Amino acid sequence: MVEKVEFKNYREMPIRAMTISSMLWNLTGSWRNVRPYYDFKTSPCRLGCPTGENIQRYIYLITEKKYDEAWKTIIEDNPMPAITGRVCYHPCMSECTRKDYDEAVNINALERFIGDQGFQNPQWMEKAKRSKKEKIAVIGSGPAGLTCAFYLARRGYPVTIFEKEKALGGVLRWGIPEYRLPNQVLDKAIASILESGPIEVKTSIKLGKGISLSQLEDEFQAIFLGIGLSQSRELGVKNEAGKGVVPGLEFLHRINSGEKVDAGKKVVVIGGGNTAMDVARCALRSGSEVTVVYRRTINEMPAISEEIEEAEKEGVKLHFLASPLEIIRTKNTLSGVVFQQMKLGDPDESGRRRPVPIEGETFTMKVDTLFTAIGETADLEGLEEKLEQKWNLILTFGENGNTSREKVFAGGDVVKGAASVVEAIAAGKKAAAKIDRLLANEPEPEIEDPHTVGIEDMNTDYFTESKRNRVPRIPQAEVTGSFREIKTGFDDVLAHSEADRCFSCGVCNYCDNCWVYCPDVAIKRLRDEYEIDYDYCKGCLVCVHECPRNALSTREEGK
Amino acid sequence: MKPAKMPLEELMSSGHLACQGCGATQAMRFALKVLGPKTVLAIPACCWSVIDGSFPNSCIDLPIYHTAFETAAVVASGLKAGLEMRGDTESTVMAWAGDGGTFDIGLQALSGAAERNEDIIYVCYDNEAYMNTGIQRSSSTPVGAWTTTTPVTNFKKRPKKNMVEIMAAHSIPYIATASTAYPEDFMRKMQIAKETRGTKYIQILAPCPTGWKAPPELSVSLARRAVTSKIYPILEITRNGQKLKVWKDFKPTPVRDYLLAQGRFRHLKDAEIKTIEREVEDNWQRLLAKEKMLESIPGFGE
Ligand SMILES: Cc1cc2nc3c(=O)[nH]c(=O)nc-3n(C[C@H](O)[C@H](O)[C@H](O)COP(=O)(O)OP(=O)(O)OC[C@H]3O[C@@H](n4cnc5c(N)ncnc54)[C@H](O)[C@@H]3O)c2cc1C
Ligand SMILES: Cc1ncc(C[n+]2csc(CCOP(=O)(O)OP(=O)(O)O)c2C)c(N)n1
Ligand code: SF4
Ligand code: SF4
Ligand SMILES: [Mg+2]
Repeated sequence: MVEKVEFKNYREMPIRAMTISSMLWNLTGSWRNVRPYYDFKTSPCRLGCPTGENIQRYIYLITEKKYDEAWKTIIEDNPMPAITGRVCYHPCMSECTRKDYDEAVNINALERFIGDQGFQNPQWMEKAKRSKKEKIAVIGSGPAGLTCAFYLARRGYPVTIFEKEKALGGVLRWGIPEYRLPNQVLDKAIASILESGPIEVKTSIKLGKGISLSQLEDEFQAIFLGIGLSQSRELGVKNEAGKGVVPGLEFLHRINSGEKVDAGKKVVVIGGGNTAMDVARCALRSGSEVTVVYRRTINEMPAISEEIEEAEKEGVKLHFLASPLEIIRTKNTLSGVVFQQMKLGDPDESGRRRPVPIEGETFTMKVDTLFTAIGETADLEGLEEKLEQKWNLILTFGENGNTSREKVFAGGDVVKGAASVVEAIAAGKKAAAKIDRLLANEPEPEIEDPHTVGIEDMNTDYFTESKRNRVPRIPQAEVTGSFREIKTGFDDVLAHSEADRCFSCGVCNYCDNCWVYCPDVAIKRLRDEYEIDYDYCKGCLVCVHECPRNALSTREEGK
Repeated sequence: MKPAKMPLEELMSSGHLACQGCGATQAMRFALKVLGPKTVLAIPACCWSVIDGSFPNSCIDLPIYHTAFETAAVVASGLKAGLEMRGDTESTVMAWAGDGGTFDIGLQALSGAAERNEDIIYVCYDNEAYMNTGIQRSSSTPVGAWTTTTPVTNFKKRPKKNMVEIMAAHSIPYIATASTAYPEDFMRKMQIAKETRGTKYIQILAPCPTGWKAPPELSVSLARRAVTSKIYPILEITRNGQKLKVWKDFKPTPVRDYLLAQGRFRHLKDAEIKTIEREVEDNWQRLLAKEKMLESIPGFGE
């Protein structure tokens, strides 16, 4: 404490007026009626991400060139950023504050950038040793199963993955083609997960056939089912069975195994989802002319819109408002398909407008191969009696994947129906945390109210408009007929330029504004934070107003 | 953490007596960060002679000479001469005065010092009225504003005096305007002033939330809007008044928004605001024309 200098009589005074002491004795904090305080909020992108990646933080770390920390930040919520960075439908970007300013930050491309950095630096992955006695079985090695295994192994649980196929990955391996997700990327991602802890893998074993749920329940203390949807739905039209009508998934499986498949000249794909788009683009690459026929319009298509654009760009034709009615076969070979003309009616329970037939209007198309991609269903063979189900999916209770059996959890497509990679990851992560709590006898965590921010909370004086950096790609001429990965990804320069676009919504990124503008020198700039000195802060709230990202809040004094 | 946006050294400390959100205080802090410890100040009667603290306490860790209202420039000249006579050619002498002490009563002393080209920095922190004595109009008060001597029934009808032009007519080496919203710009200008010999005049818009009848948290925001609405152009005049550079790289904002954010303008009727808008645009165009004209004089173009 600095003492105020006061003179008791003139003899104490210096010979001429001069400064003897500072004003620090004057605690101006007593003037304050409103108190500013640092109060970091949850950025909207993070709330938009199903697995809740700390996007603001890892983007900030990219701006600081701390790629290792950025990678570790993502890994807390998602063990396969190189994969989601390529195939995620990025709901985070639909929530990005910047979309209300100019264009959303290219979060997805930055995620891939960091994911790929992780491959070059395998030492970033910490290796967990077995520290728990309880054994866990994970059935299915799609994103849900791999994620669940990863977060349990990291906590020291020994995990055994059972997979019916001969290799791991689920849809990532057998569904999504190489031009979007190269096998070597998938292999590296899976290898890094398997090396992260005590994980054992048993392939070519099918739950329900080679091994039963009761057997697993005897041997393991918890079981996670991430078995996805492995059966293509049938069209249910006349003459469907026979040569020439092929389930889309089967075709993709063969293509993704490296087989060359000749589907003939004229190929028609029925459906409007991701499977339909990938089937069409693979058939195109195999040399066919491809038309996708969908019974509603482009606005109702469930496929990721970017994939629709890509397919069209490559030369896939889209035919809307038609639905197959009958397969025409001459001598058991497929020769054509009769279609029913449709129109849009009232919205259905999904909010999309329902397709209704236009009485009497049909047409015929000449077709060599017809691929079906109208949806996939779960194969619950051998599980029917054990687990409660709903619409041929496994019924779960609450957020964490609890099923009707205490030790059995489930997540991913087998619970949600056809959903997405990131939702499967989120389900795997939540179930792992829940299994850990169950085995360690821990209470449920309290759910915090996510306090978020939007463009109206930003001080946009500090931002300037800029275009989103697009991901570089191979020339379109090289896309045709090739399974080479289309997008080449950001380099350092693009990654920094894009990372710099992030507003860091609700979270301090050390821009110094509060410290610079405080008229009372009441903000201390410390090593990795700022501190308000309430002895002197007069409560002008300049710091709060000039924080571009709303990282401070206010509270009335005495309340 | 990123590198700091401004020097870490603080020559001004907490505990001072300025109102909440005082722009004049921010301006002083920025200036001293550039000038450093070898600096002597001359401060005439103005808010800053109070902000500083009561004798013998001061929030500024430098020698300050408190001067009579009208004498900042001449006292600074004398201080500089005295230092030089003692062999100190290194220390900077800065006169730091309000707009009243500059545009009005201190004008003759400043004009004299500038004409002699005294080696001083003269900073006018411009809060656009006599704030220390309770918000009376000065010749820096902008047209349309309320003050206690220009009540709303009879608000200020005369335009703000063009002090920059007056100083430019003195052929001094460096003149600049600034705003507390752009500290990096202001500090860059202070650095130039520190390194230039002769009289340097810098005028920084320093919002006074109390006198402008605005919430203190808007202090910086108003300082910014004044510039982006073109009411308070940020410029530099070099080569003894011959070269003008106006800062234009900003996204323009409406004059009206700037005015209506402040109680001192809230009485203005729509037609009056429109007149002000027109005048602001006229002044801006004239300024740009002048910048161009000076550029076009042979031999002056870079
Ligand atoms: C062609 C296609 C393209 C897609 N593209 C995208 C995209 O770009 N972006 C996106 O976000 N989503 C996409 N999706 C959806 C996404 O792939 C799925 O939502 C996601 O893979 C679901 O993950 P999962 O782990 O639940 O199941 P899956 O990935 O289906 O994995 C299930 C695994 O369990 C195994 N299994 C099944 N039954 C058993 C059993 N009884 N015993 C042992 N193992 C079993 C399977 O072999 C498989 O390996 C696409 C889907 C398809 C079909
Ligand atoms: C000769 C003289 N007349 C009047 C005063 C009273 N006085 C002290 S400060 C001041 C106003 C200063 O206004 P300005 O220079 O704009 O500084 P501000 O207070 O606004 O910061 C006045 C009128 C004085 N000190 N000396
Ligand atoms: S600007 Fe950055 S922090 Fe804000 S929502 Fe977008 S990515 Fe997230
Ligand atoms: S700018 Fe300084 S004085 Fe004003 S509220 Fe913030 S900490 Fe307090
Ligand atoms: Mg004044």
